[in-house]
Amino acid sequence: MHGIAAALAIFFVTLVGFLILRASERHIAPSKSTAPARVPFTGGRAPDTHAWNRYHVRYYPMTLLFLAFDMEMVFMYPWAVVFVDEGLIALIEMFMFIVILLFGILYTWRERALEWA
Amino acid sequence: MGVKAALARLAAGAPARCFAVVGAEADEIAPWLRLDPELVIVDSPRAADVLLVLGQLDDEMVRAAAGVHDALPPPRGVVSWSPGGERPVSWPFTDDVRVDDPAQIPAACRRLRDELLSGRRASSPDILPDIDPAPWRGVGPFGQGGAGMTGGVPYGRPLAARADDRDGLKLDQILVRVGPYLPPFPSGLVLDVKIQGDVIQEVSIPTPAAVAPDLISAGAHSAGAHSLTGERALFNAAVTQPVPVADIEVARARHHLVWLAEALRVSGLEAYGRRVLKLARTVRPEAAEPVDDLSRWLRRNVSLRWGTSGVGMVSASRAAALPGGPVARAAGDGRDARSLDPAYERLGFTPVVLEDGDALARWRVRVDEAQQALALAQRAGESLTTPIGLVEGPCGPIGGERSTSAALVTMLPELLVGMEWGDAVTTVVSLDIDMAEAALPHDAAVASRAS
Amino acid sequence: MNALRVVIAVVSVGAVSVAGIYLAAWVDLLVGRAVAGLEVRPLDALSAPLRWGAATALKTRTTTERPDAETWALAPALLAALAAVGLAAVPLAPGLLAADVANGIVLFGAAMALVVVAVFLQGWSPNSPLPMIGGYRFIAEGLSYEIPLAVVLIAAALPARSLAIAPIVTSQEHLWNIVRQPLGLPLYLMAGLGLAFWGPLALPEGQDLAGGSSLETSGVSRILWRTAQLLVLVAVAAMGAAVFLGGWLGPLFPGAAWMIVKTIILLVPLIATRHFVARVPTERYVVVSWAILIPLSLLDVFIAGIQALVAAR
Repeated sequence: MHGIAAALAIFFVTLVGFLILRASERHIAPSKSTAPARVPFTGGRAPDTHAWNRYHVRYYPMTLLFLAFDMEMVFMYPWAVVFVDEGLIALIEMFMFIVILLFGILYTWRERALEWA
Repeated sequence: MGVKAALARLAAGAPARCFAVVGAEADEIAPWLRLDPELVIVDSPRAADVLLVLGQLDDEMVRAAAGVHDALPPPRGVVSWSPGGERPVSWPFTDDVRVDDPAQIPAACRRLRDELLSGRRASSPDILPDIDPAPWRGVGPFGQGGAGMTGGVPYGRPLAARADDRDGLKLDQILVRVGPYLPPFPSGLVLDVKIQGDVIQEVSIPTPAAVAPDLISAGAHSAGAHSLTGERALFNAAVTQPVPVADIEVARARHHLVWLAEALRVSGLEAYGRRVLKLARTVRPEAAEPVDDLSRWLRRNVSLRWGTSGVGMVSASRAAALPGGPVARAAGDGRDARSLDPAYERLGFTPVVLEDGDALARWRVRVDEAQQALALAQRAGESLTTPIGLVEGPCGPIGGERSTSAALVTMLPELLVGMEWGDAVTTVVSLDIDMAEAALPHDAAVASRAS
Repeated sequence: MNALRVVIAVVSVGAVSVAGIYLAAWVDLLVGRAVAGLEVRPLDALSAPLRWGAATALKTRTTTERPDAETWALAPALLAALAAVGLAAVPLAPGLLAADVANGIVLFGAAMALVVVAVFLQGWSPNSPLPMIGGYRFIAEGLSYEIPLAVVLIAAALPARSLAIAPIVTSQEHLWNIVRQPLGLPLYLMAGLGLAFWGPLALPEGQDLAGGSSLETSGVSRILWRTAQLLVLVAVAAMGAAVFLGGWLGPLFPGAAWMIVKTIILLVPLIATRHFVARVPTERYVVVSWAILIPLSLLDVFIAGIQALVAAR
């Protein structure tokens, strides 16, 4: 329990500490924002539209592949702990599972779905 | 107050961070500033203390420079240098520090920065009016109003419109107004780039009037006929009169090395780029070994090969449409004005030609040409070029119908479409577009030669 | 007694963070100067990060037209907090572990997985085109290094039969994991570079985007962002030292000294990559990561698994 509490404490102390440091700039260099200073920089000219848009995430096939592997990783954590006790059977089981997933990569790669431009 | 003073005292030891706006006639000065320990040239105005305005700016460029100026976080200041001390009528930087001797630029930047941070000098005020270019027009709590999520103009600016994509999807496309002062691109290059995701779908080159609609009027100022200095003057002189081959070739090697330094910087190897720049400054035909070492290092560096091979393919037919130059020679087109010169024939000159046509080939052609140029310069002794009306400049032939740089700029819209942003930047850098040469009207070039 | 030890450990994490960040900034300057062919002058460079920080702090923070101000403020703080948790999961000496959890590897992995969120927010929040491209780019990068990172750490956990870091360190008593699992450390460091978006994998902040996700950031925020990034590198180096270089194990000197030396041994080359390896194109990185690095990391698990079974016989 101490461990989790310490981790959370470190997380929040750092987070709040950084936010306080950021707020400190108000005292060192107070900012007064003007319209021309707010123009997003792309070389000196103002944009027509917002930059935010329904961004075409062209690597989406890769993100789907990632989901599969991410799940595999979740299984691997407990597997790693009991692995030596379970012995060879655990190795073979994980081997089969991973080989199937590797075929997925092979297929995706052959279809050139990892590239997008 | 105490903290601020202490910080200012501590900051006084740091180099001044400058964002450079480079106009015409500054190409002999701008690249070398990166070697100076007193200043750092930064990529973003948000990280800069000083706006460095170098050379002559046309009206539309002045307008964009004003936009860059206002993006600098206060306290900020302007240091300007212009050949002959002339400033255009529309010069907007009222409290700039004017430097006459280019050698004084770094010290001036440093001094200005110290004065600004310690509060001894007021921050330079905004140039453009403080009027929201797109005032709040929406309805609803977030101004998103209109019909549906995208019907209105949230926060005053419209959202991107949708456009078809080659994969059958119809998603938003945004227009990125690149330049004229976006660091990875040559200073002065203006492109309107439409992107969907990070892939470029359309590129166009806006007219000067579109760049600064409120400033361009009938009697608009332009920097006019440029006087030519240094490297450019040397190559242009060779069109009509004999010039020592050794001088021409050393200038070529130097130009290619300066280009390489910038290309390395954009590739992420800033420190190595600085080393190359130092080499460029001191390069001599008698001491060519450092360039040979550099060439070997480049060949061995897998990461550079990775980033450039297969990127920005210039096909043989596109190369044939160019007036010539290293870009064409990297795509198998062997034209080189030096082949026509008997003086070079006596030196046993054969042009460097590679077949691949990608960015890697262009890197290699330039490095090989730099090595070759030094070898030629050493062999040449006192020999002079033959004025045949055409000179092979570092970016392509000079004295012909139009400049290679101008041809490369017109080629960009077709070349960049379909590329991922990073590859597009790699491509533009690898073309080595000389914006001064591209902007130089043919008549002006001829006139300056005649004078 | 126990609580006191935790307090000491937490304070050590803070000290290691500050010292590590400063060391990283200093080493970066020294290597950069050496590569550029300048006089190195290490003592002179010692004050350079402070001077840069002072000059940056005196600048006002600019904003953009309609940024997401809250997430923009959050991004550097989140990045730093995640890196600090990552560092807290590393035992700095026997018994000196701030986040003493049974599943240290999982805690580290979870904190590091969220780095993607922090970097994306930094790029997305200003509502400016180039930072936005940088932010989305980092998602592609993050999803590509995430799996090798987690898998090589799991491989290191196999011989220890535990997901806690301390048993992984003691399991290396006879043979360090760098020898036992030769693929592990190189794959881990490559993933670590991606995690810290540093050097060849500085894809969201590349020069081709004129600074990318931090392009619009100025003033104190800029310092905080750079600091948080270096803290990620420190956390990566410290975890690498514990998991692959035997952590505190070593003769003569106290464990903490060994841990510091080993962390520096990993931190310096990580920093130096910036000056020797060019930035990798995003798309090619994704392909290579999936087609080569992920299969290699899975191979690493099998090598580790077979070894662990043989050793258990």
